[in-house]
Amino acid sequence: MHKAYKVSILYFSIFTLMLLVSGIMIFESKIGFEVNRALAYYIGDKELFLTAKSNSGILKSALPHIFAFALLSMVTLHFLVFTRYRNKSIVKILLYTILSAQFFEIFSPFLIINISDIFIYLKIVSFFIYVCMIPVVLYLLFDSIAQIKFR
Amino acid sequence: MKFTIIKDLKQDSLMKPILSSLLFFTLLYLISDIFVKQSSFGIFTQTIHLTLFGDEEQFVDPITQSSFLEFWHGEIFFIMMIVFTLSTIFIRVSNASKSAIVIVNLLMISSIISLISLPLAYFIHVGFIQIYVLTFFVWHILAILSALTSLKGLYYA
Repeated sequence: MHKAYKVSILYFSIFTLMLLVSGIMIFESKIGFEVNRALAYYIGDKELFLTAKSNSGILKSALPHIFAFALLSMVTLHFLVFTRYRNKSIVKILLYTILSAQFFEIFSPFLIINISDIFIYLKIVSFFIYVCMIPVVLYLLFDSIAQIKFR
Repeated sequence: MKFTIIKDLKQDSLMKPILSSLLFFTLLYLISDIFVKQSSFGIFTQTIHLTLFGDEEQFVDPITQSSFLEFWHGEIFFIMMIVFTLSTIFIRVSNASKSAIVIVNLLMISSIISLISLPLAYFIHVGFIQIYVLTFFVWHILAILSALTSLKGLYYA
């Protein structure tokens, strides 16, 4: 691995962490991490003057995220292929956890407004899993890079 | 990024126009971005200050926190994709020369500082707007320079 690409991974990690931090701030500002507040965001609350979200409204905000989540996860996770963790089971666990979390993070709002309020837990938990697992992948990348000598 | 493993990019009749068009459109994006920002968010200290904090005398409302965060979030993603795609091509075309690596490092650092100074200006101190303006222009100039140098490298080197 060339030194330039190793440094690139460092920059990529900084951008990714910024993306996660801004995502957490938006989640906190618009939806909220408390179950009742997050639920009110989706199903509405007369006292808070919040209107219920529609399927098309949710799809509108989900649309850019479908591609962005996929791209970010692919780029972040594919680096693991070039590390010493490649054949370890933790990588597969991380991979499927992240991919499932991003799927439910994007699509659980549809379940909340169409099936049951209980899916609000799925929304919050999947968001937490995603924002916690990506830094774990970045840590594994750096841990692996630290073992390789620059050329 | 399969092009990184093609042996001689300059002699590849298919990869060369594909990369050239990507670089050309990246150039168009970078130039358009300056004009779009000028007419919306602002590219100079005064206009950015007006967008972020409004002005009672001019009856201009400040940007809401959620709108600001969405703007910042989108900017991070777009800039990330632009600088990474561009730097990968630039390093590959310039055969990872020392000057190319210096430019790529400056490009990355300036774009990161630009993105970090934006929320610092909004949440902490207005003085960070000046850092944002400076680094905004630095990373745009370096990105345009990288794209032009890569195009030159593909056709004239």
